[in-house]
Amino acid sequence: MALLEIFDPKAAPRPIGIDLGTTNSLVARVRDGKPVVITDCNAEKLVPSVVHYDPRGRVIVGVDAQRLAVDFPRETIVSVKRFMGRGADDPETRRLGTYEFVEPKTPEEAKSVRFKIRDRSVTPVEVSAEVLKVLRSLAEDELRSVGGVVITVPAYFDDAQRQATKDAGKLAGLDVLRLLNEPTAAALAYGLEKQKNGLFAVYDLGGGTFDVTILLLDDGVFQVRSTGGDSALGGDDMDRALAERLLHDLGVPVENRPRELVRLALDTARKIKHGLTETDRVEAEIEVTGGTRKLAVTRAEFDALIKPIVERTGVACRRALRDAGVSADELDGVILVGGSTRVPYVRQYVEKLFGKPPLCDLDPEEVVALGAAIQADILAGTKERADEILLLDVLPLSLGLETMGGVVEKILPRNTTIPAGARQTFTTYADNQTGFDLHIVQGERELAIDCRSLARFVLKGIPPMPAGLARLEVTFRVDADGLLSVTANELTTGVEQKVEVKPSYGLTDEEVETMLMAALDHGEEDLEKRQLIEARVEAERVVLATKKALVADADLLEGDEERARIDEALAGLEEAIRGTRAAIIRGRTEVLDDVTHGWAGRRMDRAIARAIAGKDVTAIEGTVAKARGVEAHLAEHAGHNAPDGDASGTGS
Amino acid sequence: MIDPFQTLGVEARFDLDPDDLARRHRDLSRALHPDRYAGAPAAERRLSLSRAIEVNDAFRVLKDPIRRAEALLRRAGVPVGETAEPKPSPDLLMEMMERREELGDARRRKDLDAVRALAEAIRGREREVLASMGRQFAASDPDATKLAVVLPELGELRYLRRFLDEASAIEEELSS
Repeated sequence: MALLEIFDPKAAPRPIGIDLGTTNSLVARVRDGKPVVITDCNAEKLVPSVVHYDPRGRVIVGVDAQRLAVDFPRETIVSVKRFMGRGADDPETRRLGTYEFVEPKTPEEAKSVRFKIRDRSVTPVEVSAEVLKVLRSLAEDELRSVGGVVITVPAYFDDAQRQATKDAGKLAGLDVLRLLNEPTAAALAYGLEKQKNGLFAVYDLGGGTFDVTILLLDDGVFQVRSTGGDSALGGDDMDRALAERLLHDLGVPVENRPRELVRLALDTARKIKHGLTETDRVEAEIEVTGGTRKLAVTRAEFDALIKPIVERTGVACRRALRDAGVSADELDGVILVGGSTRVPYVRQYVEKLFGKPPLCDLDPEEVVALGAAIQADILAGTKERADEILLLDVLPLSLGLETMGGVVEKILPRNTTIPAGARQTFTTYADNQTGFDLHIVQGERELAIDCRSLARFVLKGIPPMPAGLARLEVTFRVDADGLLSVTANELTTGVEQKVEVKPSYGLTDEEVETMLMAALDHGEEDLEKRQLIEARVEAERVVLATKKALVADADLLEGDEERARIDEALAGLEEAIRGTRAAIIRGRTEVLDDVTHGWAGRRMDRAIARAIAGKDVTAIEGTVAKARGVEAHLAEHAGHNAPDGDASGTGS
Repeated sequence: MIDPFQTLGVEARFDLDPDDLARRHRDLSRALHPDRYAGAPAAERRLSLSRAIEVNDAFRVLKDPIRRAEALLRRAGVPVGETAEPKPSPDLLMEMMERREELGDARRRKDLDAVRALAEAIRGREREVLASMGRQFAASDPDATKLAVVLPELGELRYLRRFLDEASAIEEELSS
């Protein structure tokens, strides 16, 4: 694989949006202001998220891999998304399936599921990267050069699952601009289509995940009020329930099920499920030893089988409504997303649950990719009027720290708008304690062992002192991708020592880097090319943004001198972009970064002032009056203002 | 600590218009959100992330009456937090204990309606306390010693909130 052949220096890199689904994946882009799904040479939009590893070490993805699934149940990975960011002991590995897993030898290895494929061990991140590579080349066939990418994830994905998805993007050679929640992406596609304001519920039942999101669309701002779901619930579970019945009808004993037959039963179940969306009764044939067996399933039987699965979505929906502080009758609409919402019983259930017929005029399987393409376009700054559209998403699951007795202290509760940050102060509990263990968890349960463990680390070097005297400050930050970083500070000695930890789901940055090298045919040489491409894409983005700002905010420059420094740095960077040295491009990007720093702060202050000033005269008058009030208040009580001295507070 | 009132550009008072707060949060987000700076140089992206976090945090504090009251008190130099505040009255403690027992009984009986009725009663009480606290904040000089009069009500609010959280957890458990 030679990247330079694909990379055409003359073609402008274009942003794309990817829906990396459990069953199918899609890639979309914006063309002439409208999002469209990119198709392959057979006009196919959906790429089955199926990856086959053949005996010669080749990787086959999509429809061709799907055909091999029955004959090679261990070597063909279907629904890999269900394993993203999951540990080797995850219940998912024990469900009805056809894979072999590698026994972890160390606790470190146990953090990630590893598939055993022939003599190889493959992580879900690598499998997903194969799907992403195929989507990337699909996009490159049409666009010549791909720029930034937005990849969608279920809203209910935890930190580990998000991190894993982002790494898969990196491994596939993509410049991931943002991870976007699937329901929010769908709402974006819907909202822009319909130009409607109001309160909406997005019900997203995919192949392996369920999300529900309550959001308010208000003048181009999509504000998520709450989100809920289950990252292991979807159409797959319907297939499994039906496959269990088929295997039972065939008289296959539970303890002795050939993997090939399990795969066949799962595939047959899926076909029956699809058939039952149109008709009331479906017949199917299954090849078993000793001939062909005929089976029939009615819609009523199927509905009864999936009832408990669909009802689980109701629990999440009711909670999301409660968290948003609204009732179902206050909703202006319910949007259906995901292939599994084609099942008639699901539609009936949703209608009953929310008391109104759901909207489904956009294809539920395409709408997420379309939304991702729109967001990619906005982030890349190519979209006109991009300033008016904004997505404000939330943290799906609470983040906390394990405290004494294994109890979780929540630092950031679920449904906090992101990006978010919080600070918490702790103290030592024993005399002369010099280390402090921190265990970061995610989830709603009270005990740490019932939550998802994200990271453990020890803050060392606390000077010996009596219990309760040391002050340790832990800061959580969640970025716009919903990804967490944590820093810890020891405040007592006045010497700030920082430990920064990014939660890991089992693969280190080095491992990802090594995989990246191994994936490229010519190792280092290709890596250099790739780094050059990445540096150029980033630099071009920065040049574009700076030039735009020079037009809009030139008056904020402090004299001709600052302007001259910026112009010089810009020219230097543009020259470097024309060259072929990644390191020089990076260096000069940093130079531009440095010389624009002060100006950037002033521009941001102006943006804040404008935003606060409001839009109409009364609002401005109100603000002025209030501001005077605040000033008077501050002048009067300047002496009373004390710094925050609350050691147990949760403020930040 | 960053002053949340200042961050959102509103007057430091207890009675704030929730719609106005939401509008300010939305407009500031439009100006500061990292999505606006996706193509910007790295330092600018970091700045936007910090500012957006401040704005979101300020909104989170100000829309919640308990945190808003805490912020006002802190601003005036009154120590807050349960260890710094006066102990709750025995009457309140006794009453909350009784209510919690009723809640526990309703849970054991799996009586969802009773749980909801108990929560509704406490929500009514919460509204009363909030209104009274609003009056106290409005009437008292923003003077540290005088502002401290709202502390008992703040304490009560915390108890009511905890009760409501518990009730809502039970409601979820019973309706799933």
